[in-house]
Amino acid sequence: MIAPEPHAFRSDPAGAKRIHVVQGEFAVTKDPEVMLGTILGSCVSACMRDPLAGVGGMNHFLLPGEQAAKGEGPQALRYGVQSMELLLNALYRMGARRERLEVKLFGGARVVDGLSDVGQQNSEFAERFLASEGIRMVGGSLRGDQARRIQFWPVSGRVRQMALIDPARKVFEAERSKPVRAPAPEVDGELELF
Amino acid sequence: MPAAAQIRVMVVDDQMTMRSLVRTGLQQLGFQDIVEAPDGEEALRQILSRPVHLVISDFNMPRLDGMGLLRALRSHGPTAKTAFIMLTGRADKELVQKAVQLGVNNYLVKPFTVQTLKEKIEAVFGKLT
Repeated sequence: MIAPEPHAFRSDPAGAKRIHVVQGEFAVTKDPEVMLGTILGSCVSACMRDPLAGVGGMNHFLLPGEQAAKGEGPQALRYGVQSMELLLNALYRMGARRERLEVKLFGGARVVDGLSDVGQQNSEFAERFLASEGIRMVGGSLRGDQARRIQFWPVSGRVRQMALIDPARKVFEAERSKPVRAPAPEVDGELELF
Repeated sequence: MPAAAQIRVMVVDDQMTMRSLVRTGLQQLGFQDIVEAPDGEEALRQILSRPVHLVISDFNMPRLDGMGLLRALRSHGPTAKTAFIMLTGRADKELVQKAVQLGVNNYLVKPFTVQTLKEKIEAVFGKLT
């Protein structure tokens, strides 16, 4: 399993191993017992797998939204691009091939921030990204008004989605309580070579 | 001071979305002569047929990766001095150090802003006009 930060496995009574993927993170695994889980409001998660290589993973990203991204234009997409790239590269390193990847997209519930629907922006970005990169989308559940709990078994490709009682706005406020997390910092202070 | 419009740039990344983001950033900085390639092999083929002043390349790519491209350019007389900025993620420190040994001019940690892109290019070429 690869994850950018240490994750504690939690075992349920049936012995399954669970990893919670929070905003700005991703995880990949070849272990058929591992379940990747997350809670989504306006955020989007891509659940990707290569059935032949027996590897899969999940990310969880949030674009900065209209108010946080004032004047950034297309550059505001970099958070989503980076999240997708980190997940893809980790999958490739474990033997996945782009042409075999199957992706299910979840989340992007409708939350209005300023004049724009952040969930819609996240959903559109994810769909456009897959189309541009020629990666096959095989299902999922985007948009709507409800927050979701997602459970993904990457090796089998099985996904379970549960609608949460909390409206998407409440989960969105929790998502926004922290700044948008990019998977890597812009400046890496430990590496001064130039 | 070099004019951005006079600098020919090759952007190399296997993700079209990332190439498009870098291209947009370069255009905001005044660059006009921008070419793209999806992997090191295609970049090398294009550069050998028409040289560029600057290569901005990802590490992880199919066929020929960023390190392979850098090595190939540095070992070929006419392209040996081509400015090379490597795109990297936080986890690629060892690769950056290896790239430095191979003569990379600078590196850029993703995700980056247009301002950071500008600073990295100016660190190589001097202040842009």
